[in-house]
Amino acid sequence: MFVRFLISRILTAFAVVFGVVCLVFFLLHLVPGDPVEVMLGESARPADRAALQQALGLDLPLHVQFGRYLANLSQFDLGTSFYSKRPIRDLLLERLPATVELGVAALLVALLMAVPLGILAAVKKETAWDVGATGVALFGVSIPNFWMGPMLILVGALWLGWFPVSGREGVASLVLPALTLGTALAAILSRMIRSALLEVLNEDFMRTARGKGLAERTVILRHGLRNALLPVITLVGLQLGALLSGAVITETVFSWPGIGSLVVEAIHRRDYPVVQATVLCISVSYVALNVLTDLTYARIDPRVRLGSRP
Amino acid sequence: MISLKRLWVLLLIVLCTACTDPVSDAFRFGLAGAPANLDPRFATDAASARVNRLLYARLVDFNDTFEPVPALADWEQLSPTHYRFHLKTNVQPFHDGTRLTAHDVKATYDFILNADNASPHRASLAVIDRIAVDDETSLDFFLNRPEPLFPGYLVIGIVPAHLIAAHHPLHEHPIGSGPFSFLARPDETRLHLLRIRDQQRFEFITVPDPTVRTLKLMAGEIDMLQNDLPPELVDYLEHDRMLRVQRTAGTNFSYLGFSLEDAVTRQVFVRRAIAHAINRQEIIRYVLDNGARPAQSLLPPEHWAGAQDLDPITYDPEKAQALLRQAGYSREQPAKIVYKTSSDPFRIRLATILQHQLKSVGIDVDLRSYDWGTFYGDIKAGRFQMYSLAWVGIHTPDIFDYVFHSRSIPPNGANRGRFRSTVADTFIDHARAAPDLETKRQWYVQLQHHLADALPYVPLWYEDHIFIAHREIEGFAIARDGNYDGLIHVRRSPPDAL
Repeated sequence: MFVRFLISRILTAFAVVFGVVCLVFFLLHLVPGDPVEVMLGESARPADRAALQQALGLDLPLHVQFGRYLANLSQFDLGTSFYSKRPIRDLLLERLPATVELGVAALLVALLMAVPLGILAAVKKETAWDVGATGVALFGVSIPNFWMGPMLILVGALWLGWFPVSGREGVASLVLPALTLGTALAAILSRMIRSALLEVLNEDFMRTARGKGLAERTVILRHGLRNALLPVITLVGLQLGALLSGAVITETVFSWPGIGSLVVEAIHRRDYPVVQATVLCISVSYVALNVLTDLTYARIDPRVRLGSRP
Repeated sequence: MISLKRLWVLLLIVLCTACTDPVSDAFRFGLAGAPANLDPRFATDAASARVNRLLYARLVDFNDTFEPVPALADWEQLSPTHYRFHLKTNVQPFHDGTRLTAHDVKATYDFILNADNASPHRASLAVIDRIAVDDETSLDFFLNRPEPLFPGYLVIGIVPAHLIAAHHPLHEHPIGSGPFSFLARPDETRLHLLRIRDQQRFEFITVPDPTVRTLKLMAGEIDMLQNDLPPELVDYLEHDRMLRVQRTAGTNFSYLGFSLEDAVTRQVFVRRAIAHAINRQEIIRYVLDNGARPAQSLLPPEHWAGAQDLDPITYDPEKAQALLRQAGYSREQPAKIVYKTSSDPFRIRLATILQHQLKSVGIDVDLRSYDWGTFYGDIKAGRFQMYSLAWVGIHTPDIFDYVFHSRSIPPNGANRGRFRSTVADTFIDHARAAPDLETKRQWYVQLQHHLADALPYVPLWYEDHIFIAHREIEGFAIARDGNYDGLIHVRRSPPDAL
C-alpha cells in the first residue's frame, strides 16, 4: 500500500515539475521584452539583432525551441547563460550555498524567537505577556522585508556599527538578512506554537505529569511542547522550502548572492535559460519537500495513504 | 525535542560556515549592476564595457570631443577603403606575459566577424572586408565601402590569439593587456582586480539597491561609486563631511519623442508648444539637483560634429499657448496627449512634473507608466503619442542616420516616431558620403539646425556624471562617457594631508 502511495506521489511530483517547466517556458516568451534587444541595447541594428537571434536559437519556432529545451533537460543540460556565457549548472552551484546558508540561518532565528514567544503566550494566556507576544508576532508578520531590511541596516550597521551593511563577507554579514527573513517566519510560528500548546495544556497526560510532582518548566517543555510541536514541524518543513527557493527581496536588499537575486537579474536581462533553470530548481525543491512531508505524514498516519478521513 | 541550546549551537555552526575572507587594503568600488561578461568580444552591458576597458587595451579611443584617437595603434588611411594600423612601441604585454602583436589584433577581429561565434559586435563591424597582417606591429584593414569614421569602430579590447585558439574561457578568467589584471571573482557580486603599476588591489562590489549602496558608502564598506543614484541621495551624501562629491558634464541625452503619424503630435506647432511649455531650468535645479545641463541636440555642443550655434529652447508659456491656438487648440478644447514612460520611480516623478507644466498651457496629458519590457516594446512598435527616453553612450554621429532617416523606420532602425523629411535624409546622406571629417561636420551641423526646427524630438537635458568617494580618495577624473578609467590614477591621501 505504501509503495503504491509512494509511486503515485512521485508521479504527481513529476507531473507538477513538468507543468512548471511548460508554464515558465511559454510565459517567459509571452512577456514583452526580447533578450536580444536587452543585450544589444537601444542602438542595435537589424543585422546585429538577426545575427544574435540566430546564434541564440531564438529565430526558431517556439515549439522547436521548446523541444530542444526538453531534449537538453532530459540529459540534465540546463544550458548556458545568454549573457555571461557560463554553464547555468555552475551558476546555480555557486549561488545555492549562499541561499541554503541564509535559509537555514533564518529558520534558526525564527525558531529561537518563536519558541519562547509561543510558550510565553500560551502559558500566560490572556495576560499582558500574551498581549505583548501577540503584538510582537503581529509586528513581525506585518512589516515587509523591503522596509525591515533597510531599518535593520540603519540601526545594526550604521548606528551601532556591529554588522556590515550588505554582501556576503564573513559571519557578521549573515546576521541582518537572517533577522529580516526570520522575523516574519517567527511571527507565524509563534502563533502556531501558542495555539498548539493551548490545545495540549489541559490534556490528561499534562495533569498526570503535574500529579507526579514534576516541575512546571519540565511539564511544559518536555511533555507539552513535545506534543504541540508536531503541526509546527510540518509548517517549518514547508517554510524551509520557501526559504531555500530564494528570498528574492531580502537577497536583493542585502546584495546576498543567492538564487533569489540570480533570478531577479535574469528576469531583468530576459536571460531565458537562467530564469527557466532557476525556476525549475525552485520548483523541484518545493515539490521534493512537499513529497517528503506527505511521505512522513503517511508513515505516521496510515489514514493519509488510504485516502480516508476519520 | 530540539532544545534552545542546540538551536544556538546550530546557529553558530551556520555562521561559521558563512566565513569568507574580505579583501583588506583594497579600494572598494560600488556598482549598481554586476559586469555580465568579462570577455570584450561578447560584452554589451555598460558595467562590462567599463570594467573591460581596465582589463583590455584597444586600438582606438575617443578624446573629449569624441574624435577617434590612437590608443594601442596609430593609423594611416591609404585609400578610402584601406587603413593601415601600426602598434605603438610601448605596448604593454598581456597579463600572462606574452607579447601583444598584430596577430592578436587580427585574431580578435576575425573571431568577432566569424558568424559562427555569434558575437553581438559582428554587425557593427560588417564594414570590414578582410584583415591582413604586415608584420608583428602593423596590419591592414580592407573595407567593403568607404567609411571615414572607421577608426572609431575599433574600440573592442584585444585578446591573445593563442588563448582564442585554445578556447580559453576569457569571460571567467580574463587576460588582456590593460592597466588592471584579473585576480578573482568569488561570486557574481564581487570582482577583484589588481592595478599592475603599483600592485594595488581593487574590489568591485555590486549593490543593486541605491539606498543600500548609499548606506554602504557611508558605513565605509565601499570607498567610492559613480552614478546610478537618484538626486535626493546625491544631495544627502553631499552633506556628509566624510564624503566628497565630484560632478562633470555628461552626454547622455534625455528627450521627448513623438509619433509623427498621430493627428495631434504630428503638428509641429504642438511639438513647439510642448518645447516652450517645459521649464527645463527649474526641473534641472529642483528635481535633478543641478545635475544636468539643458540639451539642444542629440550630440552635445562639444562633440566634433555637434552644433554650437543652436538657439536655446526658451521657457515661454505665452508662446506655447499661442502656438497651440495656431494648431487649433484652446483652454476649452485642449490638446489631449497620452504620455508613456517606464515604471522607474524617478522617471515617473519627472513625467508628473512635465504633465503639470503642459497642463498649465492647456495640454491634457494622460500619463501611463509600464514595466521596461512593455514600455520599450510599445515604443519600438510605434504605439505611442509621446514618450520620454534617453540615448546613452553615443560616440559617433552616424546615430542620426539610425534615428532620423526615413529608411530607418522600424524594423530597419530607430526612427520610431516615423519622421519623414527629405531635407533630413539629404543632409544625412551627404554627411555619410563626405570624404573627410570636416565636410561631415558641416552637413551634420546643418542637419541639427533642421531638426531643431522640425522637432521630431524635444531635447531635454544631458545628465551629469557624479562620482562620490571618501575624502581620502584622490586623483579620480570622471570621464565624459562615464567609464572607470579614473581608477588608473586614484589614490589614498596620507592621513596627515586630511
